[in-house]
Amino acid sequence: MSRIAPVSTNLVVQVRNLAKAYGDHVVLRDVSLSVPEGSVTAMIGPSGAGKSTVLRCMNLLEKPDSGEIEIDGHLINAGAKVSARNLAALRRSAGMVFQHFNLFPHMSVLRNISLPQERVLGRSREEANAKSMELLTRMGLADKADQYPARCSGGQQQRIAIARALALGPRVMLFDEPTSALDPEVGVEVLEVMKELAAEGMTMIVVTHEMGFAANVADELVVMADGGIIESGDPHEVMSDPQHERTRRFLRAVLER
Amino acid sequence: MNGLLPDVTALLPTMLGGLQTSLVLTVSSLLLGLPLGLLLSFGVVTPNRVLRWISVFFVEVGRGAPALVLLQLMYYGLPNVQITLSSLVSACLALTWTTAAYTAELIRGGIQAVPSGEVEGADALGLSAGDRLRFIVIPQGLRIALPSLMGFAVLLFQATSLAYTVAVPELMSQAYSTGSSTFKYLPAFIAAGILYAAISIPATWLSVLAEKRMSRHL
Amino acid sequence: MQMLQAILIGLPMTILVTVLSLALGTVAALPLLAGLRSGNRLLWLLSRGIIDLLRGVPPVVWLFILYYGVSVGALRLTALQAGVIGLGLVSAAYLAEIFRGAISSVHSGQWEASSALGFTRTTLWRRVVGPQAWRTAIPSYTTYSIGLLKDSSIASTIGVAEIVYMSNQYARQSGEGILIFFIAAGVYIALSLPLGILSRHLDTKMRKVVAR
Repeated sequence: MSRIAPVSTNLVVQVRNLAKAYGDHVVLRDVSLSVPEGSVTAMIGPSGAGKSTVLRCMNLLEKPDSGEIEIDGHLINAGAKVSARNLAALRRSAGMVFQHFNLFPHMSVLRNISLPQERVLGRSREEANAKSMELLTRMGLADKADQYPARCSGGQQQRIAIARALALGPRVMLFDEPTSALDPEVGVEVLEVMKELAAEGMTMIVVTHEMGFAANVADELVVMADGGIIESGDPHEVMSDPQHERTRRFLRAVLER
Repeated sequence: MNGLLPDVTALLPTMLGGLQTSLVLTVSSLLLGLPLGLLLSFGVVTPNRVLRWISVFFVEVGRGAPALVLLQLMYYGLPNVQITLSSLVSACLALTWTTAAYTAELIRGGIQAVPSGEVEGADALGLSAGDRLRFIVIPQGLRIALPSLMGFAVLLFQATSLAYTVAVPELMSQAYSTGSSTFKYLPAFIAAGILYAAISIPATWLSVLAEKRMSRHL
Repeated sequence: MQMLQAILIGLPMTILVTVLSLALGTVAALPLLAGLRSGNRLLWLLSRGIIDLLRGVPPVVWLFILYYGVSVGALRLTALQAGVIGLGLVSAAYLAEIFRGAISSVHSGQWEASSALGFTRTTLWRRVVGPQAWRTAIPSYTTYSIGLLKDSSIASTIGVAEIVYMSNQYARQSGEGILIFFIAAGVYIALSLPLGILSRHLDTKMRKVVAR
């Protein structure tokens, strides 16, 4: 299906001139990106291109050397000192889902989802648990509430991790290769949940190797290589008619596998 | 060799009082030493220089000096600065020091072994630094350190046998006095050895079991 | 001055007890290790039992048993002999476990590859498994040696005139108990420092080798 540009032009995420290097090794060079509300942005590219680093810089899990990040009106300038309050606000606005789930193994599934609500949003135990159960039910995992994460399959753990992030009511969800650690069949469960989220209008940025998801669900495709964005635009256009030689090489390698 | 077994079995019940003192000494040193160890585990990496050096001093001396030296330091040394404590209390202080120093290192090791993903998970959710420590890093670090802490507790129990040198009436001291009053040294020490082993060996098995369970979950 | 003299007199004895016990322990660990790795259930059980017993009883009890107990006939152990044998046997038990752990940490693929290449058992142990296991064992071995250095102080309880024994005598005679034991503590730390540095150095080097 062909899509017209999203109705809303309200930009939830804006990243400007992000740069980062470890010594001589340049990880990001001058990356800028805008994400309108309700849109899904897929980021693809060869490993080492800096996709995950961009995502991790957005909620300051990694600190960029320079540049600006603005999420839901919370502006952070890499050059200046970041106040704890501003950082907390930024992280509350952005929910993150990791490749390896990063659930807390010493807490039950329910506590994993409820604790952050209690500590970050100040919800009562009852409120938090009610919200957690609502999300778990939506994920089809209500019966896992009292289990420990280790007792759940990878696909279940990832859906729990998504529920944990959603419970804080984020304005944007950041997905860092959410299916890469999963068997293909199990990954489908997770992709289904992500599709539903997208259909409900959640703003999403997804670093992924799932070309099907990138082509069919994303509104915008961003191709990265060597620490920079080399191409971006409508997923179908970029995939069928890549402008850049580097993109062509990458797509050929992925699609002809 | 003939009379040995009856001698040993006859002596065993008379030594239970000493064993009790050994256990009291072990448990009280753990109760005091573990919280101190947790504090020291952070003290050795605190940016505050004075606190850090004090912590490093306590950890390095507590680990570097034999328990026997610390016991005698407390027993013979404290009266020099006009502090007079009973032998049990001074032994408890010395072993608390040992415990705090060793467990500080074990807990630090556990904390460093907390997978970075869990810490990042906490960060990404926006948990404050204090909450991250309280809900994720410390509980997980202690859980990871648990088998080695259990192993240490067994060594500490064995180390209480050295408290006889500072006149604590524990198991070893009881064996020694029984031996010297009856001249049946060998049965007395064998009886003591059996009682120590009866606690240490199963406790060691428990710590090995804990280690196996832990490695399964990580 | 007298204080330093006391410690200096004890120092060589501390080193002697440590070195002899470590040597005895290393050698005596080998049969225990063989038992632990043996397919024979009975031998395994025997080794396991000896190791658990040696580790389950505090060293001071072993020293007392050897020193006061083993005096059958004319043969009576000197304090130094009893100390070295006692600490050496306890060390053997701990070292056997360290060696066993190191050997089992060598990846099973190494054994398979050696068999597939038709290596003899000698080549397997000398060229493939031995070196890899030894490299893994070194940090634990040095850590244990530092522990043994401190445990050598236990020999003072049966009258071996090492550092703690001398310090104790000095403290009783002079009534001064803080400085002497702090100095004693300092000497132990100073002695273990080079070993500790070596161990940490080897450990970081090993980690680099293991992790990519």
